[in-house]
Amino acid sequence: MGWFDLLFGPDGWTPLLLKGALITVALAVNTVPFGFGGGLVLALLKLSRNRPLRIACDAYTTFFRGIPDLLALFIVYFGLQSLLNKLGQITGEAWRIELNAFVAGVIALSVVVAAYSSEVWLASLKSVPPGQSEAAKSLGLDARRVFLLVVLPQLGRVALPGLGNIWTILVKDTSLISTLAVMDLLRAASEASRATTRPLLFYSAAAAIYLLFSILSGGAQSYLERRANQGYA
Amino acid sequence: MWHDLAGFVFNLDLLNNYGMRLLQGLRITAEVVAISSVLGFLLSYPLACARMSDNPLFSAPALAYVTFFRGTPLLCQLYLVYYGAGEVRPFLTSIGVWWFFRDAFYCCIFAFTLNTAAYQGEIIRGAIAAVPKEQVAAAQALGLSRYRIARHVVLPQAMLVALRPLGNELISIIKASALAAIVTLLDLMGQTRFVFARTFDFSIYLYAALIYLAITEAISRLWNWMERGLSRHLVVTAPPVAAVITPVMRNTVENRGYVGQARA
Amino acid sequence: MKSAKFLAFVGLAACLASATASAKEWKTVRFGTDATYAPFESVNPKGDIVGFEVDYGNALCARMKVTCVWQNQDWDGVVPALLSSKFDVIFSSMNITAERAKRILFSDMYYATAPIFATQAAIKSDDVTPAALAGKAIGAQSSTVFANYIDQRYKASEIKLYPGGDEPFIDLASGRLDYVIGDILVAQKFIEKNPGCCRIVTELKRTPDTFGPGVGAAFRPEDTDLKDMFNKAIAELDADGTYKKIEAQYFKTDIRGK
Repeated sequence: MGWFDLLFGPDGWTPLLLKGALITVALAVNTVPFGFGGGLVLALLKLSRNRPLRIACDAYTTFFRGIPDLLALFIVYFGLQSLLNKLGQITGEAWRIELNAFVAGVIALSVVVAAYSSEVWLASLKSVPPGQSEAAKSLGLDARRVFLLVVLPQLGRVALPGLGNIWTILVKDTSLISTLAVMDLLRAASEASRATTRPLLFYSAAAAIYLLFSILSGGAQSYLERRANQGYA
Repeated sequence: MWHDLAGFVFNLDLLNNYGMRLLQGLRITAEVVAISSVLGFLLSYPLACARMSDNPLFSAPALAYVTFFRGTPLLCQLYLVYYGAGEVRPFLTSIGVWWFFRDAFYCCIFAFTLNTAAYQGEIIRGAIAAVPKEQVAAAQALGLSRYRIARHVVLPQAMLVALRPLGNELISIIKASALAAIVTLLDLMGQTRFVFARTFDFSIYLYAALIYLAITEAISRLWNWMERGLSRHLVVTAPPVAAVITPVMRNTVENRGYVGQARA
Repeated sequence: MKSAKFLAFVGLAACLASATASAKEWKTVRFGTDATYAPFESVNPKGDIVGFEVDYGNALCARMKVTCVWQNQDWDGVVPALLSSKFDVIFSSMNITAERAKRILFSDMYYATAPIFATQAAIKSDDVTPAALAGKAIGAQSSTVFANYIDQRYKASEIKLYPGGDEPFIDLASGRLDYVIGDILVAQKFIEKNPGCCRIVTELKRTPDTFGPGVGAAFRPEDTDLKDMFNKAIAELDADGTYKKIEAQYFKTDIRGK
């Protein structure tokens, strides 16, 4: 069969590749709130006055930034579940939390992305001059309001380049989930190439789609950065 | 209960039985990383020069190269090299390079080198761009040759700027090298998977994680130390915290890609 | 306030997970399979998992009056995934061995085929003793009985283990491997799709200690009720000829074993 039929023919693999691309996007998008949100929480905890808490958060970041993403995903994917089951056994509780592959993948990616993004958040938290919080406090705002109304709105602009970076890493990192079970873009290409023994064709197709994603992300990122920086230059 | 849990997390018998395998794997990991990061470094300077060239015959292909290798997952690139080479074996045999692509070890080195060259090339390019233009102009006014300007004015300063991102890239390639396990190479990750398949004992992943962590931490500390030593002559010595956050704060296109250490 | 936030985050994450009680009526059974193993299980261009074991498994479910859900799972992770409740049964050509039976529960055997060595078409020798294969590259899928077999006996050969079931054959065809050990029907299917690439050298005896009697479904140790349901359904599908009917759609030979 020619390459055109393999891709677009009646038994062509394009639908599976597109479905896979959708899964890839879904994995990345669903990771964002937990990964970036978790990173912000970590960054705040790292600034807390509680020393053991600070050390624990630093250890978390060091660990997940220091080991291969593939290994981190394995540890979370299998370890988290076994640990939950083991805890259930030890405490004699009759509950069992079941994670499907997609959710487990999102959690695993979030754990890694939280570690990466916490550094970005930390840097941007430190970029807000302490005088502002002090001024807000002296106006009678409580700690929650100081954070939500004064500090948080300023974080986005500073954090944007760093978070954008992590987003592009995240999109590529989703491909690691393909080695577990999830039928993402890369896995779809693998299935197609093993069924047809035409790996060059299908991995190139997958690479082209990833490339499209990263070019689109790059464009969106510079647009957002331009907008966020209006009035700052 | 805590004893149970500790026994679940760390199993010393396992290390006794399979520790040697992990060390053998570590050697393969070290070889793959050392060879591909050095080769990638050698490629990075020509690549950076091509990227900055005014001639689109050089800059356009270099841009395409960098965009492709930074815009697609390394795992996808590795599959392309490994399984793609298998598909075009008759051709590779006819030009006499099949022996190279037959070996999973060389396939990994090939893919990792091309990949890290793209990242390192962008780091070098950004670092060269960070050297003020006036210095080059001043050197030209003094009548220095292009080679001398590059060798004595631009590169010494650029390499200092590039030092930290290059260190991050080294850490990144160490972490990325775990992908070699997926194409049958018995590197540290490969041996870990092997032991896990044999024992289903989860601790082996934690031991492997600790080994990777020790290496990446050691390199990161070595880099901090080198940077402190080399930048002593600069008036403003950045405190350690600022050193970590500066790449994040710099909001320029050149610096994008330094911050996160991972790639897929 | 910060800890409240953290709790909210954890709570959100937990919402994604579905908590279920452990003792239950089986209404839905989740099948885990490594779909890199045509003709037993593979992925078609629509993304569905298809093959003999899928049809047979669905027939078992129809008999047990439960809903089947099929999930793809990499072979290396198939046992951990079962034990950690990512699915309820491994239905993926898993050979019943004493070693595995220490961790998981097996149903009765539902098929048995011969292990084989395959080699490149250009290699004419039929000698596959460890001495003859010394220094040669042998491939197998990792965590399989085949991988264990060569690992124990072929110490002088270069052993390469692959995550997927058909990847060793792909590398045999490309010339990276000199020999592959695997299942006869998987090898035949691959050679049928890639004619002239390779040939089957010899069938191996199913030695009980390495290969076991044949293939069974695997469960978590505590799910004995599920195992009993499967055994009953397996016997019934044998008796009413359903097995024979499904088998005939895929194979020319009888693979049922005894």
